[in-house]
Amino acid sequence: MYAYDKFDHAMIDTRVAEFRDQVGRRVKGELTEEEFRPIRLMNGLYLQLHAYMLRVAVPYGTMSGGQMRRLAHVARKYDKGYGHFTTRQNIQFNWPKLSETPDILEELAEVEMHAIQTSGNCIRNVTSDQFAGATADEIADPRPYAELLRQWSSFHPEFSFLPRKFKFAITGADTDRAAVKWHDIGLIVRKNDAGEIGFEVLAGGGMGRTPVIAKTIREFLPESDLLSYMEAMLRIYNEHGRRDNKYKARIKILIEAMEADEFARQTEVEWERIKDEHVDVPMEEVARIKAFFTPPPLEVLPINAPAVEELSKKNFVFASWVKNNTNAHKVPGYVNVTISLKPHGGIPGDATAEQMDLVAALADEYSQAEIRVSHEQNLILPHVALRDLPAIWADLDDAGLGTANVGLLTDMIVCPGLDYCALANARSIPIAQAITKRFGDMKRLQDIGPLKVKMSGCINSCGHHHAGHIGILGVDRKGQELYQILLGGSGAEDASKAGILGPGFDEHGIVDALEKVVAVYLGERRKGEEFLATYRRIGADIFKEAIYDAA
Amino acid sequence: MAKKIIGPQMILGNFLDDGRAVFFTRDHGWSADTSLAAYGEGDTLDQLVTEASKAVDANLIVDIEVIGARVEDGTAYPAHIKHAIQAKGPTVRTDLGYQVSTKWEAA
Repeated sequence: MYAYDKFDHAMIDTRVAEFRDQVGRRVKGELTEEEFRPIRLMNGLYLQLHAYMLRVAVPYGTMSGGQMRRLAHVARKYDKGYGHFTTRQNIQFNWPKLSETPDILEELAEVEMHAIQTSGNCIRNVTSDQFAGATADEIADPRPYAELLRQWSSFHPEFSFLPRKFKFAITGADTDRAAVKWHDIGLIVRKNDAGEIGFEVLAGGGMGRTPVIAKTIREFLPESDLLSYMEAMLRIYNEHGRRDNKYKARIKILIEAMEADEFARQTEVEWERIKDEHVDVPMEEVARIKAFFTPPPLEVLPINAPAVEELSKKNFVFASWVKNNTNAHKVPGYVNVTISLKPHGGIPGDATAEQMDLVAALADEYSQAEIRVSHEQNLILPHVALRDLPAIWADLDDAGLGTANVGLLTDMIVCPGLDYCALANARSIPIAQAITKRFGDMKRLQDIGPLKVKMSGCINSCGHHHAGHIGILGVDRKGQELYQILLGGSGAEDASKAGILGPGFDEHGIVDALEKVVAVYLGERRKGEEFLATYRRIGADIFKEAIYDAA
Repeated sequence: MAKKIIGPQMILGNFLDDGRAVFFTRDHGWSADTSLAAYGEGDTLDQLVTEASKAVDANLIVDIEVIGARVEDGTAYPAHIKHAIQAKGPTVRTDLGYQVSTKWEAA
């Protein structure tokens, strides 16, 4: 993991002191809310429906056991004993007091964490593959590049007031687990014919009210030119992106308007102009950062673990958990464990302080003290020896973290919705709870198979409904919460936009409608065919008929 | 532009320190208890807004929002579900929301 140097520490400590002063001035009335609002947002502090909300960055979803333990401490001391993991691999605390936020940030700074640039019209937390550095299917670990981007974009004076917020995602694998094509800029690590590392650069993706899949701007960008090329792209956006209408201000709108080829041309012109101006760091610095992400020394172990096989025979839930919640590590005899934060009937993405402490302890004992947060709102223990799975699962299950549903219907991405969010039109969490209760039978879930359901409580799409195999969008119709179904989206390498099926349903009807969608799939699927493939083969009409004609 | 609200209205704000959603009361204080909330329309409402705004100037309340009210037996309730949720706390984790505490009540 990356460790702060003295400059990082000084930068963060200075910011905490500055924010403490600003909060003090706000409390004393020396700053108005109008003056203070952009300041608090730059420090990740929102005012939501019931309280302030503090969003803390987990850079590219990687943290240590010690950092997780500190998050648990913050939840316990300053909040109500829990936190909410988000689709940007961050954590949100829902109940901090304004006057205590500088203390929280000071305690976080001690463990090299902060809330800077988790809000505002700037470059946000760079997200990445949750299995980065621990999966066999990647060309290179993307996290050193994500760290490079983090350092470059933190307090970047030119890009602190962009037309709108700006989101990067990077993956080092062909299998896209980071939804890179749904980002303002997406980077995919590639190798050229000479075997050199570089990036496919995509831009103009995004969700919100205008969902757009990113387009390739450059097929191969050499590793050494990453920052200068990013700087050139951001400059074109900063110069031409609209500032007159916030709904038209994202880079996706600019690229749609000027077309990707023209955006690429202007980027190349700007890049030619600046690429020798020392924007890029020397490769020695890249190597220095890469050294922080050196794979842990893992002794190769047998690929079979008798204890796992024995328990799997006796315990269906454990067997399901091994099947669904673990995936192959690049070192034989190891796996990555995904801890589901989607207990049936629970709140997707939430973890209590006690659960966070447990995950920290498990990380210290079994996963080289490393933890990952996925954009699908789960936690990951990487580098786990296969033989340790029974012990890990027993501890997780005791703590309510043993749900074996990763990748299945109830592993839903869900935004906080109208229960917390000031922008939401409809509640998301109670619908998720009803769905996960309805579909909670493990045998049935297994039979349905891989299926990504994603739900947002408004058109801003924090719950990624456009990218759901099944998306659910909460809307407000004359004060009533209604829920529309969308089908056919994907956030993976075969990214696609989900299409709305038709009019919305009330909170009970949406669960029944989902049941009918699943029934159509089960009736129509071919052997081994997953939901998205069936949908793409048979189209929307048959689903529409099942939902609306029978009503 | 915000939709024009027709009928009785009440005034919602957030305490500066903890962000708690509270209503302007008939005795010109602030409380989460909607049974104490002031409501009105026309000139009465304008007067309430003037009085409530003093809490913003006094640094007690972040900002005020005039919202639609449903009046039953002389008591005002937020008309829209969003404001009803603000009044009562989240509909989930009711064990942790402000529902379980009274310490936020305005003095």
